[in-house]
Amino acid sequence: MSKIEHDRTHHAAKATGIGDPQCFHGEAGPAKFKVGDEVRVRNLPDLFYTRCQVYTRGAVGRVTEVVYESPAAEDESWDNTDQPEWFYSVVFRQKELWPDYPDLYENDTLETEFSERWLEAP
Amino acid sequence: MAEGHTHPAAPMVDEVSDFEVLEMAVRELAIEKGLFSADDHRRWTEYVHTLGPLPAARLVAKAWLDAEFKKLAVRDGVKASLEVGVDWINGPPTGFGTPSDYCNLRVLEDTPTVKHVVVCTLCSCYPRPILGQSPEWYRTPNYRRRLVRWPRQVLAEFGLQLDPGVEIRVADSNQKTRYIVLPVRPDGTEGWSEDQLAEIVTRDCLIGVAVPKPGITANATRPVHPAVHPVHHEH
Repeated sequence: MSKIEHDRTHHAAKATGIGDPQCFHGEAGPAKFKVGDEVRVRNLPDLFYTRCQVYTRGAVGRVTEVVYESPAAEDESWDNTDQPEWFYSVVFRQKELWPDYPDLYENDTLETEFSERWLEAP
Repeated sequence: MAEGHTHPAAPMVDEVSDFEVLEMAVRELAIEKGLFSADDHRRWTEYVHTLGPLPAARLVAKAWLDAEFKKLAVRDGVKASLEVGVDWINGPPTGFGTPSDYCNLRVLEDTPTVKHVVVCTLCSCYPRPILGQSPEWYRTPNYRRRLVRWPRQVLAEFGLQLDPGVEIRVADSNQKTRYIVLPVRPDGTEGWSEDQLAEIVTRDCLIGVAVPKPGITANATRPVHPAVHPVHHEH
């Protein structure tokens, strides 16, 4: 991150013909969670930029898919692509996200993705 | 202008949002700075307006007819897209997707007891290479914030009322995955060809706010509300 003159084309050079997030494949190391794991969404500070929705913070869900490796949005928004992470698709019961969700529809769920830093064992 | 035609021309649009003003300002600055040319911008805009939901409808019809293709679509949406002519990775204009067209498509398979519906609560992420530009309502804060909280009520507004026993699964597309819904093949379509099936898979079905029905080949019309802050022309 000590680039004096910023290179605007480095992402294009890396991703052309490969795709994004495919171009970060193999850069995140071993995945911390696996399909079926219960996870809790951490409530980290998000001073400048985040894509982790506030309505999911603190909720417990289940990993349905280990989806891809990519820099977290919080880093990538500043063009810091040095440390890609695993991303996980997590399913929550709606009742877990919205405590007054009607009991009649207790089967309803919501699925969304998180980078690894946002998840912890419950 | 015709002789004696003195009253002011009607505005070309009802309302210009702050975001549209911001987009124009950033675009003009980028062109001035030489990041891209006005011609690049025109070509890109023309290109994205050629895209539409037909390839995704074709993908669903193929999946209904071919169990192996359905497995491929659910496992690897990007690869399955190739068979309906959409190349997420090498497609124009960039060859790696735009920042909101990341090359990761998941096809969400509905069952008689699970109904998927797609939203992006953060902005309006949408699988544009295979669905084209998102409808206006998909981008509204109203849809984005209410679908995650009251999915049944919002679907009912679209005319889709589901049995309490059906699990509604909202997919919030807020990272690099883009979603389309693979609905259940409706009754009354036995023996139909791929072309016939593709016709009833409307854009709304692919977002998940409608289910395909024989005879229904168009999206429901959404109410158009008058502008809250209409454009005023003083000249």
